[in-house]
Amino acid sequence: MRELFHQWKHRILIALAIVGPGLITAVADNDAAGVSTYSMAAATFGYQIFIILIPMTILLAITQEIGARIAIVAEKGLADLIRERYGVRIALIMYGLLFFVNLAVVIMDVAGLKAALSLFGLNPTVFLPAIIVGLYLFVVLSSYSIVERFFLVLVAFYGTYVLSAFMAKPDWATATSSLIIPHGQITPRFLYVSIAVLGTTITAWGQFFINSYVKDKHVTTEHLKYNRAEIYLGAIVTDTLTFFMMVAVAATIFANKIIVTDAAQAAIAIRPFAGNFAGILFGVGLLFAGMLGCVIVALTTAYAFSEFFGYSGSLDETFRKSRLFYTTLLIQLVIGTIVALMPNISLFAITLAANFVNGAILPVIFYFLYEFANNEAIMGTHTNNKIQNWLLAGSAIVIIFASLVGLLGQIFGW
Amino acid sequence: MLYFAELAGKYVTSSDGKTIGRLTDFAFLATDQPLITKLRIDTRVGHILVPISNMRSINGTITLTPGFETSGVSDNELSVKIHLLDQQIIDIKGNKVVRVNDVVIQDKPYFVIAGVDVGVLGIARWLKLEQALNRLVSGFGTSLRSDFLPWENIQPLELSRGKVQLKHEEGKLTKLAPEDLADHLERLSVKNLTKILDLLPNEYETEVIQNLNVSRQRELLRNINPKHAAAILSRIDPDEAVDILLTLSERRRNLITPFLTDEAKSHIDYLLNLSKTDIGNLATTDFFCADPEETAGNVRRRMKRDTTLATPLTYVFVTNKKKELVGVCNLHELLLQDMDVPMYKFMIPNVVAVYLTTPPEIAMKKMVKYKIYSLPIINDKRQLLGIVTIDDLAEAMQEKQT
Repeated sequence: MRELFHQWKHRILIALAIVGPGLITAVADNDAAGVSTYSMAAATFGYQIFIILIPMTILLAITQEIGARIAIVAEKGLADLIRERYGVRIALIMYGLLFFVNLAVVIMDVAGLKAALSLFGLNPTVFLPAIIVGLYLFVVLSSYSIVERFFLVLVAFYGTYVLSAFMAKPDWATATSSLIIPHGQITPRFLYVSIAVLGTTITAWGQFFINSYVKDKHVTTEHLKYNRAEIYLGAIVTDTLTFFMMVAVAATIFANKIIVTDAAQAAIAIRPFAGNFAGILFGVGLLFAGMLGCVIVALTTAYAFSEFFGYSGSLDETFRKSRLFYTTLLIQLVIGTIVALMPNISLFAITLAANFVNGAILPVIFYFLYEFANNEAIMGTHTNNKIQNWLLAGSAIVIIFASLVGLLGQIFGW
Repeated sequence: MLYFAELAGKYVTSSDGKTIGRLTDFAFLATDQPLITKLRIDTRVGHILVPISNMRSINGTITLTPGFETSGVSDNELSVKIHLLDQQIIDIKGNKVVRVNDVVIQDKPYFVIAGVDVGVLGIARWLKLEQALNRLVSGFGTSLRSDFLPWENIQPLELSRGKVQLKHEEGKLTKLAPEDLADHLERLSVKNLTKILDLLPNEYETEVIQNLNVSRQRELLRNINPKHAAAILSRIDPDEAVDILLTLSERRRNLITPFLTDEAKSHIDYLLNLSKTDIGNLATTDFFCADPEETAGNVRRRMKRDTTLATPLTYVFVTNKKKELVGVCNLHELLLQDMDVPMYKFMIPNVVAVYLTTPPEIAMKKMVKYKIYSLPIINDKRQLLGIVTIDDLAEAMQEKQT
């Protein structure tokens, strides 16, 4: 009996040690840009949109797991492998694309943060730079484990969406059954919105981030199983949060036929139906989603830079040693803040550009994942199985289709 | 000096001008002296490996000798593309330092990897933007220097294990100016130098010794046993041997000469007797120097502005900050270059030079052998003291005979 207890204690300890990358990356997919998209989707289509949540979770889990497995087995990041196997030119193009798509996402997240600050009556011109500087200094000065705990705390704040969902008093039976049973008409607009939801969840930066972050955590191959479980769990937790977020919006805003286009509007619109507190909770969620998103996406660019060009780059290293790593992080945050604070900035144009580049870059990243994950010289016995390959290829096709439709949708205003 | 970025993808043709394929990789020996041994050529039907001795010339294309051979990979050979290029460089403690952006190849006297380029220019070169970037930066009144890590910083044994690891910590890294990269043998201790010489095939050993700086030659011959010294001297050109011997003290010289082979001894004895006249009297200080980073265009402009026809120029000597002679180029080579190419890129790093102790006869022989019209005279720190021209030398020798 005691032995059994020890065995389990051991397992739980390992599991806890592994927790982090999968959960953080997956939840960060629900960044401020994500929350806005989900709010808009649920406000427009209500429970109908829920049908895409389960397939989306599977895609997210599969792609993230492959990325993490490569990092653990090869002890190299995705960018490391691209540079070493495809040379300088490809590496530069990929880095350039990633830089711009990430920058656009950072801008959207900082803009989300700004909107959340305004909700609480805090002047963004003062508080936004202060928060960004604070976040930056924290990341620079702290070690990996402390930064990770901080991320996990931010993740915990997503719990506010669960609370606001309950306060919205939704029809739980319809909400849950809509996950499996499709209803309503499939219009181009519906397709476009579903795809936007997919595109904001499965991202280019997510693939790079999980990879570098797992590597920075030094997970070993013997813990692959735990790592896989953690990533699957992360995907499920993330989309469960998305589910609650959408429930809160569907039960109130959609039910009362109010039009909202972003999360801040949703946080206001929710108040008359679910109470002020639910609105505040929704706003708090957005605030933390913005913080988590902008740091993690900017961090991805920094990781990729240090991997592509071989400079030292780890959260465990000092500013002096990882100067270029931390500078890349800073540049993204500074540009993000400046653009978000511009009075007449068109976030619409940035979203358009970001979605397009994201759509363009993801199939290419999937190609690299496919190549690396099936290469025995890199992966040894841990290569992809057939199902994983089919799913990966399938996701690439879906995403290409998705981003094309998404782009057309935004151009023609579906 | 050659860069892998500029060689990769070049067309390879046979001696009769037929295209064979494109150069994609080099095989090299993972040793302290990383000789390049084979070219990998991708043809339409697959790839072939051709020993470097079958390469006749590199210009716009690479030409092979008639009836070139192909071969397989040997155990001790590694690939530039797989084991070196784009790889992460780590220091001795395993910290990431930077990546290998390009590989620098020294082509004279034989093909060897001189070091790796870790700078921005190394990346720009792959994009064919090196010159554009240089021009852009020079517009702001500054210049971009390439950052090179010389080969002796790298642990060759680790390469085969897939690691480009340095022998030092990151902080102690010595990055070199390009013009100093070529003679990394100069920077080794005598012990390491002899070790490397032992590993080299004899024909290379001779060339290596002839190309060493005079102070290094002297140090080497002072420190190895006289028998070994004599063996080396017997193998190299008698003129060179005398030139080197004359820099030694008479005592040391007398220790070495008994071990020389008879043939070499008679040759060398004869030449040693000639050494009474002083080449210093024939020297002139009318020479033209350039900086390694200076562009060909700038050198040409300066030449136009500052020189007269009173003493016709034949060569541009390249000296570094310490006034050491690091390279030379003739006027034809200078004219062939684009205006914005820096001197270090096309200069010949192993300069044929003489010392103040060199007999005029030997200087003359060197001129004839290497087809050179004026020789630089250097001291044991390799600093340029003056030059001696073929006409002054010929005149002096003629006077002596009459």
